[in-house]
Amino acid sequence: MGKRPTPSELLPGTLDLLILRTLAPGPMHGYGIAHRLQQVSDDVLQVGESSLYPALQRLLLNGWVKAEWGASENNRRARYYTLTAAGRKQLVSEREEFTRMIGAIQKVLDTA
Amino acid sequence: MTPSVQTRLDRVWRRVVFRWRRTQLNRELAEEIESHRLLKEAENSRAGLSPQAARELSNRQMGNIEMAKEDCRDMWSFLRVERLVHDLRFAARLFGRNPGFTVIAVLSLAIGIGGNAAMFTLVDKLLVRPLPYFEPDRLVRVTGIYPRAAVPFFQQQSRTMDVAAVSAGSEYNLTGQGEAVRIFGAAASANLFSVLGAPVAQGRAFEPGEDSPGRDSVIIISDALWKNKFGCDPSILGRVITVNGMNRQIVGIMPPGFGFPSSKVEAWLPLRLDPSNFIEYWGSGWVPFVSRIRLGANVQQAQAEIRALVAQFKRTFPYPMARDWNANATAIPLQEDLMGDIRGTLLILFSSVGMVLLIACTNVASLLLSRATTRRKEIALRVALGAGRLRIVRQLLTESVLLALIGGGLGILLGMSALSIFKSVLPSSTPGLAAAAIDWRVAGTIAALALLTGLAFGIAPALSASQIDLAGSIRTGSQRSITSAWTRLRSCLITAEVALTVVLVVSAGLLMRSLYTLSEVRLGFRPEQILTVRISPNQSSCTERAACIALYGRILDSARGIAGVDEAAIANTLPLDAEQPYLAVEIEGHPKSADYPAPLLWSGAVSPGYVRMMGIPLLAGREFTEADGSKSAGVLLITPSTARIFWPGENPIGKHIKRAGEAQWRTVVGVVGDVRQYSLAKGRPDWVPGAMYMPYVQSAREDGQIYAAMTLLVKGRADSGRLGHEIRSLAEEQDPNVPVSQVQPLEDVVSGSISDFRSTIRVFLSFAGAAILLAAIGIYGLVSYWVTQRTFEIGVRVAMGATRQRIVSIVLAQGLRVAVYGAGAGIVAALAVTRFLGSLLYGVTATDPVTFVAVTALVLAVTVTATAFPAWRAARIDPVTWLRVD
Repeated sequence: MGKRPTPSELLPGTLDLLILRTLAPGPMHGYGIAHRLQQVSDDVLQVGESSLYPALQRLLLNGWVKAEWGASENNRRARYYTLTAAGRKQLVSEREEFTRMIGAIQKVLDTA
Repeated sequence: MTPSVQTRLDRVWRRVVFRWRRTQLNRELAEEIESHRLLKEAENSRAGLSPQAARELSNRQMGNIEMAKEDCRDMWSFLRVERLVHDLRFAARLFGRNPGFTVIAVLSLAIGIGGNAAMFTLVDKLLVRPLPYFEPDRLVRVTGIYPRAAVPFFQQQSRTMDVAAVSAGSEYNLTGQGEAVRIFGAAASANLFSVLGAPVAQGRAFEPGEDSPGRDSVIIISDALWKNKFGCDPSILGRVITVNGMNRQIVGIMPPGFGFPSSKVEAWLPLRLDPSNFIEYWGSGWVPFVSRIRLGANVQQAQAEIRALVAQFKRTFPYPMARDWNANATAIPLQEDLMGDIRGTLLILFSSVGMVLLIACTNVASLLLSRATTRRKEIALRVALGAGRLRIVRQLLTESVLLALIGGGLGILLGMSALSIFKSVLPSSTPGLAAAAIDWRVAGTIAALALLTGLAFGIAPALSASQIDLAGSIRTGSQRSITSAWTRLRSCLITAEVALTVVLVVSAGLLMRSLYTLSEVRLGFRPEQILTVRISPNQSSCTERAACIALYGRILDSARGIAGVDEAAIANTLPLDAEQPYLAVEIEGHPKSADYPAPLLWSGAVSPGYVRMMGIPLLAGREFTEADGSKSAGVLLITPSTARIFWPGENPIGKHIKRAGEAQWRTVVGVVGDVRQYSLAKGRPDWVPGAMYMPYVQSAREDGQIYAAMTLLVKGRADSGRLGHEIRSLAEEQDPNVPVSQVQPLEDVVSGSISDFRSTIRVFLSFAGAAILLAAIGIYGLVSYWVTQRTFEIGVRVAMGATRQRIVSIVLAQGLRVAVYGAGAGIVAALAVTRFLGSLLYGVTATDPVTFVAVTALVLAVTVTATAFPAWRAARIDPVTWLRVD
């Protein structure tokens, strides 16, 4: 693993947002989420397990996702995370907030 | 990104659930992460690695997964709560291991906090909480007392106030309800209850006009009287009872707890306003005023108006009044007025209790400081294992707060008993005193106080402990590496403690000396072997003078006939019994003028033989005899102090005095010794310059009638219980409708007059005792800690040839230095503070050198005692053992 930035170093709360977004299409287990994030971001975002699982626990605690056991691709038990209604609402509002933030940062970078 | 309230609540709920399912969730987390790793391993295998290599790589890729698990677990727990529980458990274990320390600390705090709990309750109930009347901040007392004629005048003239009048109250005979009893009643203008804004519980208040003659045969009773005398009879309203021989209808019952102007009052009678009764309307029966400021007016306007009205009213007097009569009359808030007398005592007690708490805190802080130092090794180890400074401070603060809370809990229990002691110090007539109890408000305040106390005395030790030289402490485990600043702080604390102790003990000492002086006061009479009983027929039964003279003649005769009675006499009042029988008189050669109105004289009405029986010395002339009959020429006895005022340097025998308004002069026939009539501290109130005695058969009250209520005194060697019973039944035989009360030895009257003072002193003594004890503990702790710290040094000194005496004197010097500084500071503080005791002191100045010297000596002696044990320990240090150990 190189010195790639992990999402938590970018902006506070970004990792939570990314996980929520990843879960939006459907249930996924931890490995799947990490894999998906890496894939979609063209290997730019590599989420370490040591930040992924605490983040998932945090989302569970806040009631934004729920977890269920199911069978994984290799026929093992894996925990699948599903977005709850509250999580969906949270995703929308956080996404707006994030876009606003990025826009603001972009503006500063462009003009200042 | 701030979570909503709903989210927060959910979070708390899920954490609670997690506590129940902890093991299951931990297992699930482990399984989930393991499955994650297996997926990685499979991915690695697909990339072409050998199974062994794939497994190892996946393990590495997972990084420090244990830390992540830890993070997850923390997220699910109430971290702060759990740490707190842990700290508390640890603290409790420590306390268990040092029971001596724990007991001393908790007891110190319990004493301090308990005293404060009691004082809080009193101050809150008596000084802070508003009076239980409607808009009590608009109620004022008009200072001074006024004749009844002033009541309608003020009521009609005042623009800023509604004025009511109510007497302080006196005893009345309640007859026709079984055995005759005495009740305490106050005469009130008809509007009293509406002015106070105090509704009756049942029935009605007085109606306007019920204070005019003919309509005033009504009475309102207190809840207590209704319960005790009438057994809560609901049909009592409308019933007619006989009060002082007059039939009155009960029209109302006041709610429980209502007592105005004092809680003693059991009944309210209309204050009769009868202009045709000149003496009562203008002369006797003066009353204080209480008023309600009208809406739109303020106290300043009322005060200005009162001055104007008093000046106006003074001109309407039918007889000359002193030019400065009530010239400085004003309005003061009613609450301030009601609490005026006890405010001083209360505040003194409050600050003393505060001082005791301060001392207790100082002590515990000092104990903790020394413990923090001996715990350096443990703390250093904890720091080395990764505990942050904040975490250490928090742990130590948890300990001190826990101590304080235990002390607080115990303190509330102590406070309940302390409260009853404090209550006994204050006059029982204080409004609201009986109802004062530790309630949840006070308990809450105490909890907060305990918490604050814990933080206050814990913060310095905690900070001192957290400043640690890691390497040094762990390497040697030494108790010697101490920051000198914290040691100095500790000495300062103990010095302050000694100073506070000196202040308290000096105060207690001054009060003790006052009590001693008071008990040595020459009474002017001999109370031994005299038994007294109050006989109080209605005044109306004495309209015919001969009837009462005959009644008391019969009573005296049969009293002398009782076996074991040597002498018997009657008197209208007893010395020190709180009655104030004074008369306005005219004195020969002293014409009254606007500047010198008729002086008031304390006037006794006594039977012949009273003076001899009381052991009052006859200084000149003669006593009364049976020859001084009701028809013979008026005679008087006066006291030497009275003679000195009115006839300085002259022989008073043969001079003349008469009651104001009387036609015939009475002749002074003898001079008898001065007697402590009013109180032990003062012979008479300031406004009464002298005293005289009349023979009972010639006596007259201000309205010219003979005294009806008298006290019978018998002297004899008989058993006072049997004698009391016999004279009681003797009086009842004469007339069953005459109430007989207060059978008591005269010696009890005398000691009762200073019992309030005695209990004040008892409280102060217990404060001082607690303070001395705490200070001794503090000094002992300081010195014994000093010895522990310097064991090595002392060992070296002994090894180098220092004698045991030398070692003992070094240690004693340590304790004495602190005590001397403390005593010095305490004396200065006491000099500044004790003058507030002024009103409580008698026969001793607030800076009495004897007390100050004695207290200083006492404190130094206590110091030496407290230092003796550590010094003895130091002297027994065996150099060989100690030099080897450290």
